Amino acid sequence: MTLLSESPSPSAIAQAADAPVLAVEGLHVAYGSTAALHGVSLDVRAGETVALIGANGAGKSTILRAISGLLKARSGTIVWNGKAIANLPADRIVAAGIAHCPEERHVWPNMTVQENIALGAYLCRSREEVQRRIGMAFHRFPRLRERSRQMAGTLSGGEQQMLAIARALMSEPRLLMLDEPSLGLSPKMADEVFDVVRSVNGHGVTVLLVEQNIHNALGVASRAYVVKTGRITASRPSAELRGDPDLLRAYLGG
Amino acid sequence: MDLFPQFLANGLVMGVFYALSALGLTLIFGLMRVVNFAHGEFYMLGGVSGWFVTNHLGLDFFSGLIVVAAFMAAVGWLVDRFLIERVRGQGEEPGILLTIGLSIFLVNGTLLLVGPAPMKVAGAMAEGPLFFGPIAVTKLRLLAVAVGIALIVGAHLLIRRTRLGAAMRATFQDPMAASLAGIRTGHVYAATFALGCTLAALSGMLLASIYSAQASVGGLISLKSFVVVILGGMGSFAGAIAGGLLLGVAEAMWGGYVSMGMVDVIGFVLVILILLFRPQGLFSIRTERA
Ligand SMILES: Nc1ncnc2c1ncn2[C@@H]1O[C@H](COP(=O)(O)OP(=O)(O)O)[C@@H](O)[C@H]1O
Ligand SMILES: [Mg+2]
Repeated sequence: MTLLSESPSPSAIAQAADAPVLAVEGLHVAYGSTAALHGVSLDVRAGETVALIGANGAGKSTILRAISGLLKARSGTIVWNGKAIANLPADRIVAAGIAHCPEERHVWPNMTVQENIALGAYLCRSREEVQRRIGMAFHRFPRLRERSRQMAGTLSGGEQQMLAIARALMSEPRLLMLDEPSLGLSPKMADEVFDVVRSVNGHGVTVLLVEQNIHNALGVASRAYVVKTGRITASRPSAELRGDPDLLRAYLGG
Repeated sequence: MDLFPQFLANGLVMGVFYALSALGLTLIFGLMRVVNFAHGEFYMLGGVSGWFVTNHLGLDFFSGLIVVAAFMAAVGWLVDRFLIERVRGQGEEPGILLTIGLSIFLVNGTLLLVGPAPMKVAGAMAEGPLFFGPIAVTKLRLLAVAVGIALIVGAHLLIRRTRLGAAMRATFQDPMAASLAGIRTGHVYAATFALGCTLAALSGMLLASIYSAQASVGGLISLKSFVVVILGGMGSFAGAIAGGLLLGVAEAMWGGYVSMGMVDVIGFVLVILILLFRPQGLFSIRTERA
């Protein structure tokens, strides 16, 4: 009835405020001739923390790689803030405000901690601005400041993870994608990493998190998508999944 | 016996050019994993185009050097974007075949254009010798060595101190992480290849101002550059310099005391010794990276 009215209805306004910042639709990705994703659709709203959970090899990392431009989409769309970004080169994606902190950290081993952090702001041409961001990174991660002149390859796993996150944040992203940040860390170190994720999210950065450790994942994320053999098989609020282990087991098939 | 300082000086002079040329090769190998068999042809092209700009365009030596540097950087960039790019990430063999083919093309193209005769780059300076105690060095050699050293230092500063250099090191150590930081790795590879070609070409032009350039010299230069890179350790900046000086001095000593005719063999003897006793090179790639 209100379809033809000139001003948008209250529900349309509410929807706009609630509209996803990131919308993935029918995403197909392949490695060579082997398909890895068969039509993945998901969306993330501004300020959310959303988790992708699922067994090893399900396709979680592949989803992140396609979003960040490391992999080409065979078909499907990726819309970020209303702009189609599928198949843009990775540097354009970073510039658009999406940072991808990859699985297994991938710090530059023979560069110092400080160099690793500084290069995270590679696209920022202002020296003072880079210095300001480095200051903020060291403020957030005091342990990295202590080790700023050390080669990144000599850090412990937990420190390398912190460094990888600090580096990803140097581009001042509005969406931070984290791939298995607690992989191989002690439970205590993992807790520290998730504290960081919460605090980053608390500062208004939207987070898309891939995590093997389901309890940690559901602890920080408000919603989770279940990924299975290249497809999304469920999307549920974390609380619902947490409260129902049987449901979770059914989705994850284990 | 009193000729020893003179032989040493001659060897160090040659060593600077070997180092400069090998630096280009080791950069391309270290960063791009491309074994560039056309390296000697880029060296040769540096000499030939140096001869062309100083003799036919009438440029003075230093303007010529700059023009040749810019020209060869452009050639290197285009070769990477249009040829090397196609075999990127497919292992080393396609790159080897590609650069062997490229070297054949470049030698024969040059022979067709300028013929096989030696071509001398018009020098920047008179040939008169300078004496340092028992050592005599021509002014021309001294100048060429000074330029060579300046280029080595310049390349070092480029890699260590500039934004492009940081992008090169990041791409070398972890290309995926480099992409995710917003580094356009395709451009970094092209810039590295251009830099490697330019260093080889300038080494060729400097030496062609002392001796002469010849279309067919590339094969031997490629071999010697590989010798230097193996001596110093694949991909090592410091190793290329040490290896270059070592080869230069060893050749000068061999030529001075043993036999002038067999000088080009000495590099291979050194490589065999290194491979037997220290296969990772004098400078391991673990301890010193480009
Ligand atoms: N570099 C690659 N080359 C070929 N196949 C790959 C590559 N990376 C992942 N795959 C395949 O794609 C599928 C999804 O992998 P991935 O996205 O890494 O899963 P997850 O992150 O959920 O463990 C798996 O079948 C895996 O074997
Ligand atoms: Mg994964």
